[in-house]
Amino acid sequence: MRDLIIIGSGPAGLTAAITAAEHGLDILVIDEYLKPGGRLLGQLYEEPGGNWWNGIEESRKLAGRASSLGLDIRLGISVHNIEQIDGSWLVHADCETFETKSLLLATGAAEAPVAIPGWTLPGVMSVGAAQVMTNVHRVKPGQRGVIIGVNVLSSAIAMELKIADVEVAAIALPKTNQVNGKAANPSEVMNALLHVSHMAPSPLVKMGSKLMTNDFMKRMGITLYPKNGVRMWDIPVMLRKAVIRIEGTDQVEGVTLATVTAEGKIIPGTEEVIGCDFVCIAGGLYPLAELAALTGCPFYHIDELGGFVPLHSEDMRTPLDGLYVAGNITGIEGAKVAMSQGKTAALAIAKDHGQDIADTSLSEAVRQISSTRSDAHIQFHSEVEAGRRKLQEYWEQHAAGMRNVMV
Amino acid sequence: MTDRDMIVCRCEEVTYGELVDTAGQFACNSRELKLRTRAGMGYCGGRTCRSLVDAIALAATERDVTQITLKYQPPVRPVHFGDLGAIPND
Repeated sequence: MRDLIIIGSGPAGLTAAITAAEHGLDILVIDEYLKPGGRLLGQLYEEPGGNWWNGIEESRKLAGRASSLGLDIRLGISVHNIEQIDGSWLVHADCETFETKSLLLATGAAEAPVAIPGWTLPGVMSVGAAQVMTNVHRVKPGQRGVIIGVNVLSSAIAMELKIADVEVAAIALPKTNQVNGKAANPSEVMNALLHVSHMAPSPLVKMGSKLMTNDFMKRMGITLYPKNGVRMWDIPVMLRKAVIRIEGTDQVEGVTLATVTAEGKIIPGTEEVIGCDFVCIAGGLYPLAELAALTGCPFYHIDELGGFVPLHSEDMRTPLDGLYVAGNITGIEGAKVAMSQGKTAALAIAKDHGQDIADTSLSEAVRQISSTRSDAHIQFHSEVEAGRRKLQEYWEQHAAGMRNVMV
Repeated sequence: MTDRDMIVCRCEEVTYGELVDTAGQFACNSRELKLRTRAGMGYCGGRTCRSLVDAIALAATERDVTQITLKYQPPVRPVHFGDLGAIPND
């Protein structure tokens, strides 16, 4: 039996593995992808100040560190079930079952789709898939693409495609229907972008600082937004046009765009077709909680964190003995926050294994998560800190409830 | 193609129109919508369409923030029957 199994070798999982190994734990890391690094692998962007964040390089550093510590990392293996039996955890992977005292779930996030007529045609992919093809496998997803869904992730990936010399004809909204929700509402999308303005397309930032002062100005902002979009790195970002159909018979041949009102209603007679050979759909990220959900761990839906998240403390413990979480499974944030969560989880786990971890070093690690969060260049939700506070309240209510039961 | 003909659940070939009509007729939550239409019950286990099925159900019902809509059940990845029956070796 292992001391610790970590599921997921992204920034959270690898950082946790390194920290726990430094404290002498016997660890196994499992990941279903072929390479360690998780979603770090796809990331490439310029930080304010001119430094480039190169995810492949960061993954290499983490994996190098892990291998110098002799860590056992198994790749290309999927975990399909986990269960707790007699105080230990059984991890059921493809052809093998592993047993461990402690289990850290660092499974990251999944992408949500947007649904547009034609979205099942070959050539339509999630924006993350286009990122992995381009940055990890170095295969062009196509010659000319359209991205549907305007958010932090899709604008970052649009720029990465541009760097790779893949033409992005437009980033536009999805059409309004019952499933596309706020992602199809120009005013909502503009507000969301302006709130994460340090990351948003720069022309928006300039407009944004003036527009944020009151609701009237915000509405004016979207009304005055140029119909043909604002160019970001030469890619038109269209907040007043929506893709109403993806065109093609056997594969993607183009999209039909239409101008929409500030609320996302299609203005008849404005339809136009633009040609492309691939389409990316970008509905945002949500915490990939499926394994945690099998354990009976309590969950709470917190919009600011991206969906349902497993209940956990600031030091990454869940209410279940020996079960810990770190990274995007706890809420959608950047890789640096995930790393600091991974480190914290590993310290909590080492402490629970009887290692000599001072309370002060654990609380310092918790503080590090907050300071990393406030310094983050990438923020997926403007109210992420409020979301974290909500979860902390749920944790305290849960802990109080448990105390009452014991009395 | 209109929204109504658009496939939402690819595995079970359930359309947007069928989901919206069912949700409207029965004011059902995600689970009931899944059971009535089979959306999310196919090979992929709802990994592609779960957020869409949820969104349609939420138009007619309130969200319970403490209950995951569309329960996860093992196996959460496709797995061979032979592998499921393998004997633990660690």
